[in-house]
Amino acid sequence: MYRATELPPAPAPARRRTSRGGAPQTFPSSLRVEPLVQGDTSLGKLDDHVRDLSEAKPPRSWYVALVITSLAGLVGLASVGFMIYEGIGTMGNNVPVVWGFLIINFVFWVGIGHAGTLISVILYLFRQKWRNAISRTAEAVTVFAFVCAMMFPAVHVGRPWLPHWLFPYPNERGLWVNFRSPLIWDVFAVVTYFSVSVMFWYLGLIPDFASLRSRVKSRVKRAVFGFMSLGWVGNARQWLHYEKAYLLLAGLTTTLALSVHSIVSMDFASSMVPGWHMTIFPPYFVVGAAFSGFAGVVLVFAFIRTAMRLENYITERHMDLLNKTVLFLSCVMAYAYLMEGFTAWFSSNTFDRYIFANYVFGDQWWAGSLTIFFNCILPQLLWVPRFRRSVPIMVLVSAGVTLGMWLERYTIIVLSLHRDYLPATWGTYLPTPIDFAILLGSVGIFLTLLLLFLRKMPIIATWEVKSDIAHHQAHPSGGLEAEHA
Amino acid sequence: MLEPLFGVLALFPTADDLLKAIPEVKKRGFTKLEAYTPYPVHGIDEALDLPKSKLGVLVFLMASLGAISMFLFEWWTSTVSYPLLTAGKAYNGWPAWVPPMLEGTILVGTFTAALGMLFVFNRLPFFGNPMLRSKAIDRITREKFALVIRPGAGGLDTGGAIAALKAAGGEDIEVVQAPRYSKAGLAWWSKAIGAVGAACVVAGYGTAWVIRTFPTTRPMVEMEDQPRLDAQAADTFFASGRGMQLPPDGTVPRTFMPILAAGPGDGGKALMNPLPVTDSVLERGRTQFDIHCAVCHDRLGTGKAWLDSTYKAQPTDLQSSTVRDASDGYLYWVISRGFASMPAYAADISPDDRWAIIRYVRALQRSQDAPMRDVK
Ligand code: HEC
Repeated sequence: MYRATELPPAPAPARRRTSRGGAPQTFPSSLRVEPLVQGDTSLGKLDDHVRDLSEAKPPRSWYVALVITSLAGLVGLASVGFMIYEGIGTMGNNVPVVWGFLIINFVFWVGIGHAGTLISVILYLFRQKWRNAISRTAEAVTVFAFVCAMMFPAVHVGRPWLPHWLFPYPNERGLWVNFRSPLIWDVFAVVTYFSVSVMFWYLGLIPDFASLRSRVKSRVKRAVFGFMSLGWVGNARQWLHYEKAYLLLAGLTTTLALSVHSIVSMDFASSMVPGWHMTIFPPYFVVGAAFSGFAGVVLVFAFIRTAMRLENYITERHMDLLNKTVLFLSCVMAYAYLMEGFTAWFSSNTFDRYIFANYVFGDQWWAGSLTIFFNCILPQLLWVPRFRRSVPIMVLVSAGVTLGMWLERYTIIVLSLHRDYLPATWGTYLPTPIDFAILLGSVGIFLTLLLLFLRKMPIIATWEVKSDIAHHQAHPSGGLEAEHA
Repeated sequence: MLEPLFGVLALFPTADDLLKAIPEVKKRGFTKLEAYTPYPVHGIDEALDLPKSKLGVLVFLMASLGAISMFLFEWWTSTVSYPLLTAGKAYNGWPAWVPPMLEGTILVGTFTAALGMLFVFNRLPFFGNPMLRSKAIDRITREKFALVIRPGAGGLDTGGAIAALKAAGGEDIEVVQAPRYSKAGLAWWSKAIGAVGAACVVAGYGTAWVIRTFPTTRPMVEMEDQPRLDAQAADTFFASGRGMQLPPDGTVPRTFMPILAAGPGDGGKALMNPLPVTDSVLERGRTQFDIHCAVCHDRLGTGKAWLDSTYKAQPTDLQSSTVRDASDGYLYWVISRGFASMPAYAADISPDDRWAIIRYVRALQRSQDAPMRDVK
C-alpha cells in the first residue's frame, strides 16, 4: 500500500458512515487512496484539454517522429511487396523452421493487442475506475496492433492475393474450409476480435465526437466529427441503452479476450512438435498477451503523460497501478515458464526435456535466457514503490518486457522447430534483411497510426473521466476506494 | 408559419441539481420530461421513470441464433456438403466446431449490442434532432445538465414551463423549436437513383477489369511464371533448337494401329467396324464425339459449327446422304487421315474410340431420320 507520506495532505482521517447509520468508523490513513483526478480541473477543462490536443499544432518532435515512423512503415510495406512479387523464398523460413518472423510478429502483435480489451473491458467489469482515463488510448493500441498483426498471416499464406480463401463462402470450387483446423479457428478469432475492438472503440468515441463536433475549427473536422457522432445528444434514454450496450459488450468481449490468444496458442499446441504440444499453452499465451499488452500501454503513457500534459487525469497512481499489474503478470509468467519446464521434465519424454534444455543451453541459448531475464527477472524491480512511479525505470522495464515477449515467441517458434524428433531434419534459421525490414515496418505502421491518433482524436474517454471529475468535486479529499465505487 | 414546439429547456450546473429539479418540475404537473447529460448519470432513470433497456433480450436472442446457425453451418459443411477426412477424425467431430462457434456467437452478440443500441433503440443516426439546433447542446455535451419539458397531448403552457424550470433552479432557459422538414422530392430521388446507378456501373466495370487483369499479372500468374520450358518452346540447349525433344524415329504409341487402307476408296473393303452395337460402345462414342467432333459438326452432326466466323471452312453435314451412304471404313479413314480442311485425328483418338464414334454417328443419323417403327 501507499505510505502516508506519499498522500496529498488530508484534512481529517477518512470517515465512513456505516450503512445502518451507526457511529462513524475511522479508518487508518494507510487505507486511503489518492484520487483519480488531480489538480485544477473541471468537466469543461478536461473537454478543452482533449480538444486542444487534437486541435493545436503539434510540436516539431511529433513531425520528426511521424516522418521516421512512416518511413519505417513504407520500408516495411515495400519489403512486403517485394516478398510477394519475388516469392516467399526471400524470407528466412524454410524446412524445418517453416514459421519464421512472420508468425512470431503475428503472435507478438496479437499479444500487444490485448491491452485494450483487458483494460477497457475486464477492468470495467471489475469496476476499476482507474481504467477510465487510459481506456481510449489502450483501445487504440489494440486496434493498431491488430492492423499490424493481421498483415502477417495474410502475407504468409504464400498467395496473399487469395485472402478470401480463408473464409467459408460458397464458391465455384465446391470447397469449404476445414473447421477442425486450429488455423481456421484463428481466422475466426482474429477477425472477430479485430472487428469487435474497432466497434467497441468507435462506440466509446461517439459521445466524445459529439462534444468535439462544434468545438473544432476546421470545417472538414466539424463535418467528420459531426457525422461520426451520429447526432448524439446525450439524452438520458440514449445513455440508458448506451450503458447497457457497453456492459453487454464488456461481458461478451471478455470471453473474446480470453479465447483469442488461447486459439492462437492452439495453432501450436494441437500440433505434435515437442515444446508446442502442451496443455498449458492456452492460459500461458493469454497471460503472455496481457503482459505484453500492459507493458505496451505503460510504454505509451510513459512517453505521452508528461509530453501531452495529462498528469491531472493520468496520475502517478495510474502508472503505479499499471506497473503493479505488469509486476503481477510477470510473476504469473515466471510461474508459467516453471510449469512448462516442470511438465517437460515430469513427462520423462526425451524430446520434451531436450527441447527445454535447448531453449536455455542450446545453440541459441540467448533467446531462451533473455526471455526469462526480460520477462521474469527485470520486472521484479517494480517491487520498489519508488520505481513504479519513475519514468526511466518503467520505460526500461516495459521496453524490456516488450522485447522479452518478442523473444519468447522467437524461442517457442524457432527453437522448437529447428530441433524436431529426427536429428536428420534438424536445421538452422537465419532471418534475411527482408524479415527484419517487415518487422521494422510493422513497428513503423503501428507508431504512425498511434501518433496520428494522439494528435487527431480524443485520446481520453472524456465522458467516462467526466463522471470521475464530478465525483472528485463532490468528494475532494480522496477518501476510501469504497466511496469511489 | 410558426415552427412547432419541441420543448422548453433549462440548464443545471451539476448532476445533483438536475436530479433535485426533476421531482420539483413534476410536482407542477409537467410529466413529459427529458434529461440531457454529458455523461451517464446514475439515478436519472428512476427519476424520469425510464423503462429498463430491453437490449439484453435482443442480444441474447441474436447471440443464441448466432451460436445455433454457426453450429448448423459447421455441421453441414463438414459432414454433408464437403466431408473431408483429416487425420482419420470423424466428420461430425463437433468439439472442434466449438471455437468458431464461440467466435461467431460473440461476433453476432456484440454487433447486435452495438448496432441494436445505436440503430434500433436510439434511432441513430438522427441529424435532424431539434436538440442539435438548440443553443444549449454544445454546453450539454461539454459540462451542463439539461432538463427539457416536452409538450404533452394538449400542447405546452410555455410560460408555466419556464416558471417551473426557474423555480427548480434552472438557468439559461431556452424554447427549442422543432423545424419542419420537406419530404424528398422527385429531383432528390432521381439524383439518388442516378448516383446509385452510376456507382453500380463503375463498380461493375472495375470488377470486370480486375477479374480480367488480375490472373495475368505477376505475381498472380502463379506457376505460369517460373524458369521452365513450355511445350513447343524454343531452346538453345539442344542442337535441334527445340525445348521438347521429338521421339526417336519409328517410335509408336502402345495402342498404335497402322491404317491398312491406302486411300478412301478401298476403306470399305479393307476395314470393318470391330465393335458391337452396345450401350457402352454408343456411350463411349457419344463422349468422344462431343469432345472431338461436336465443335465443328455440332452435337447432332448437322455441320453447324459453334466456331465463329474466323473459322472459314464449312464442315460437312453428317446427316447428308453422302455420309449416310459411305461405309464405316471410309469414315474411319476420314477421321484418321483428315479430309480436305478437316484435320487428322489419328494422334488424338485411339482406334477403338474412332470406331465407337462411327457407331455413334450412325446412331445420330438414325435418330434424325427414324422410320415409323422405331418411334413406336
Ligand atoms: C476443326 C473442325 C472439324 C472437326 C473437329 C472435325 N471435322 Fe469433320 N469435317 C470438317 C470440315 C471442314 C469438313 C469438310 C471438309 C471439306 O469438304 O473441305 C469435314 C468433313 C467431315 C466428313 C465428310 C467427309 C466427306 O467425305 O465429305 C466426315 C465424315 C467428318 N468430317 C467426320 C468427322 C468426325 C467423326 C469428327 C470427330 C472425330 C470430325 N469430323 C471432326 C471439320 C471438322
